[in-house]
Amino acid sequence: MNQKHILKRPLDHTVSRRSFLKWNAVIGGTAVLAGMGLKMGRLVTLAAPSAPPTATEGQWVTAACWHNCGGRCLLKAYVVDGVVQRLKTDDTHPDSPDFPQQRACQRGRANRMQVLGPDRLKYPMKRAHWTPGGGDKSLRGRDTWLRISWDEALNLVAGEIKRIKESYGNGAILGEVNAGMERTLALYGGYATSWGSTSWGTWPDVGPAMAGPYGDSYSNTGNDRLRLRQSKLIIVWGANPAWTSGGNPAYNYLQAKKAGAKFIFIDPFYNESAQVLADEWIPIRPATDIALLLGMAYVMITEDSKTNPLIDWDFLNRCTVGFDKDHMPAGADPKANFRDYVLGTYDGKPKDPRWASEICGVLPEKIHELAIEYATTHPTTIINGGTTTRVHRAEDTAQAFMTLACMAGNIGLPGAGVGLSVHNRGGNAGPSLVTSGGTGVQALKNNIDIRLNQNELWDAVLSGHYTAGKGDSRKVDIRMVYYDARSTLNQKPGATKGIRAHREKLEFVVAQAYALTTQAKFADIILPVTTPWEKEGGFLTGNREILIFYSKVTEPLFEARDDLWIAKEIGKRLGVDVAQIDPISDKQKIFNQLMGAKVMKPDGSGMETLVTITDSDIKEWGVQGKPQPGRISVADFKARGVYQVERKPGDRLGFTEFEKFRQDPAAAPRETPSKKIEIHCKTLADKITAYGWTVKSPLPVYQRIEEGYEDTFYDWDNKVKGDYPLQMYTIHYRRRAHSNFDNVSWLREAFHQPVIMNPTDAEARGIQDGEVVKVSSRHGTVLRPVYLTNRMMPGVVTLGEGAWIELDEATGYDTAGNTNILNGGIPTGQGHAGWNSCNVEVEKYYGTQLADHKWPQRIL
Amino acid sequence: MAKQLAFYLNAGACVGCKACMIACKDKNALPVEINFRHIVEYEGGSWMFRDGFAIPCNVYGYSISLSCMHCQEPACVENCPTGASFKREDGVVLIDQAQCIGCRYCEWACPYGARHYNEATHTMTKCSFCQDLLAKGENPACVDACVMRALDFGDLSELRAKYGMVNAIEPLPPSDLTKPAWVVTPHPDAARSGQGTGAVREEI
Repeated sequence: MNQKHILKRPLDHTVSRRSFLKWNAVIGGTAVLAGMGLKMGRLVTLAAPSAPPTATEGQWVTAACWHNCGGRCLLKAYVVDGVVQRLKTDDTHPDSPDFPQQRACQRGRANRMQVLGPDRLKYPMKRAHWTPGGGDKSLRGRDTWLRISWDEALNLVAGEIKRIKESYGNGAILGEVNAGMERTLALYGGYATSWGSTSWGTWPDVGPAMAGPYGDSYSNTGNDRLRLRQSKLIIVWGANPAWTSGGNPAYNYLQAKKAGAKFIFIDPFYNESAQVLADEWIPIRPATDIALLLGMAYVMITEDSKTNPLIDWDFLNRCTVGFDKDHMPAGADPKANFRDYVLGTYDGKPKDPRWASEICGVLPEKIHELAIEYATTHPTTIINGGTTTRVHRAEDTAQAFMTLACMAGNIGLPGAGVGLSVHNRGGNAGPSLVTSGGTGVQALKNNIDIRLNQNELWDAVLSGHYTAGKGDSRKVDIRMVYYDARSTLNQKPGATKGIRAHREKLEFVVAQAYALTTQAKFADIILPVTTPWEKEGGFLTGNREILIFYSKVTEPLFEARDDLWIAKEIGKRLGVDVAQIDPISDKQKIFNQLMGAKVMKPDGSGMETLVTITDSDIKEWGVQGKPQPGRISVADFKARGVYQVERKPGDRLGFTEFEKFRQDPAAAPRETPSKKIEIHCKTLADKITAYGWTVKSPLPVYQRIEEGYEDTFYDWDNKVKGDYPLQMYTIHYRRRAHSNFDNVSWLREAFHQPVIMNPTDAEARGIQDGEVVKVSSRHGTVLRPVYLTNRMMPGVVTLGEGAWIELDEATGYDTAGNTNILNGGIPTGQGHAGWNSCNVEVEKYYGTQLADHKWPQRIL
Repeated sequence: MAKQLAFYLNAGACVGCKACMIACKDKNALPVEINFRHIVEYEGGSWMFRDGFAIPCNVYGYSISLSCMHCQEPACVENCPTGASFKREDGVVLIDQAQCIGCRYCEWACPYGARHYNEATHTMTKCSFCQDLLAKGENPACVDACVMRALDFGDLSELRAKYGMVNAIEPLPPSDLTKPAWVVTPHPDAARSGQGTGAVREEI
């Protein structure tokens, strides 16, 4: 490996070079040349279909980078005679920090290998030991495959849907569908669905309950990227934008740093974003952020005084309820206020830094220092990844973040803010400045009201029971799963149980896929689909300033078909009204989106029409429409591939969440019972408790959670560790956008999917760097190479989410390191995934593993 | 001073994302295990344990994006037995594929891991500074790919005027070996070449 060269060479370079020179003088060159034969005309062999650049002129076509990383940057494909030869990214305008190009990340740049890789599914396939009714179910995920015709595949799928509906009812069909089959299945009487908060943890319920709907309620908080430069202090809390946010977010943070902001990172891992941005790193145990927040609140409450103000009383008085007994919402017990909870007035347990430190692992004096710095530095922004609330019962954590920001008054001021800053709003909050119109297609109603929480999805399939609310356990009898574009088995907690459900219970599993994903691998029938590169075109956005208009790059590969074509063909065979499945042509849908596209006026006063449309456009496209004036022609938009709103510091397009409310709460009231932000929040408590799993206090309180830090101990009081003594949290890994790209060899080579661990923990277990280790939880086992680094705090390990499950059938261990094998699927709170509260043990494993890029590709 | 094309890296801004490396692979149609540009992670520090607390002590890390340094005194050219390796007028180090015998001496001589043996052609391959793009007035693929805008290129003397004279930081070898045509803004935690305070890691 290259890195090894560098490690070794500086040490022995001088000697090597001298001896080499001597040898070189002796052997000469030409004699060897003759022995090697003719080399002319040979070309570098590619791992994917491609050709070296030729003399033929090609053209640059805007290619979709459609993945769910939030980045969705600009990609252009150089196409010669229908063959994509290389990619480039945004060069539509000169690059500057204020008006940056939309440069694609490493994943986007590898897109050619994803779309045109040798592992594309080519034909419809049938599992060899499947027959209608299930056949040998135990072979799912390890069976051989038979190529079948589209006609046979569609007939088999439609036949099974019909049989299962007629035998068990529509409620027996679990539809993991959103790419077209949701329409067919809705027209056929409906289907059971699954639900749950994944990316955003507990913010979706907490934010709107405490403050009423805001932004898009959870991922749209704080400031836009230019106002972020006004921050004096930016606390990046459980986030690593350089890994998780494709495109410009990390670069935007760098501009805030250049503008003078101090950065503090609070994270178990001294991550790559911290390496570039952090002035200070505070390591913290996963799933314990609530303790640190309460400890900070204690410092602010007890040390606040007129001469040393640590609490923004003006903000609390005007804009919140529930902080202390004098500001309680109507009907609430005055004793149930946040201040007295933190002080321990009634429960006798002060939540002081010493108490907090035992849980979160941050020294009491550091908690004190952080609290003072946060309370006295304005404006300060807390940038939250989803990490801190993808934790069991973490409604309290999100609520405490909001509460602390209210106490410090670090909210509603330009440069101040708190909450999620992720996905396509990462580091750049605010309403979209440019949007596409709708396609014109209306959603169809699903008449089946069976909604299975994703934490207990596979339990429900296996046990026949699910939770529909508090005290409301219902029966369910799932017999088949239809996966069109959802990666449920790979991507939801409890995959170990999911595999059991596939191998023991389900009679039929069908998957649409472009490669042999986990869902496809465990299916009975696989239907090969086109990627967005093979579709007519469409629109994407990666941040509030851009709208990308992508076009078809290549014709469909092999026998791959569009998802909607499949939905219609199955619909035909089920006898539903096919016209309703795909009522508008692809071209018309794109044209409708063009006609309806809007862009913010420069003065920020409202949206105006984006695209100029002429009669000749309408004629050329062969669509219905009306001419309209706009800012950019259809042809220009298509050629550029992107419309980007040009921003400048001080323009009228800036955004700060809660700014108007803070200025005048009476004029801009919140949609809560008190019209204010509710620190004591009965709405939230009632809502969370009603889900039926756990009981929520109206206040942000500390609870011992399932598989939190305390659960790593057998005896917490005497600090005796248990069978799973380490904490594991999961990260968005750079190889992938969730499960997308896991099969791409270039990215497998670049990012190895190791278990990241502190050397101290490894030493105690006799583990050496790079060895294969066995990671076990209460729910499953994976094998992976270990990467030892002091950048990870002791007692904690992490592993990237999204790896495609690869079972070693002899042991049952997953060799790909899929984190959902380790996560159990424990429903708490609002039924969000509690991925970052998970206890594990790591052991030496006496075996080896090939590097992932050397694994055989899944080629059928 | 004669023209000498050179790369620049702001190591204080590099997040090790490998967008440059993948863009390079795409541009040059490279198979796995051949990377004309690659990333090295350098890190150090330790932990102290006190009263049940783990306290980090000088934990640091930084990433370096590296390609061929197009050295002013390239060991690869000096050690090429056939004369296939040569330095162009603009300072770019290239390989004449027709003359290369794949003996791999240059790979051994290069202290930066910039030379790669291609098993299919039995010849050496390397970064050509995207000479085809340069000829068209475009930038090297890696420079335009950098999401942190940490890469730049240009004439060495101009880069030095703009960014300074540093051309070696840990864990790279001292620059007097080959005089790399490279300018780096060191990461704040970077030490001078040869100090050996940290460890070389593969960027994960």
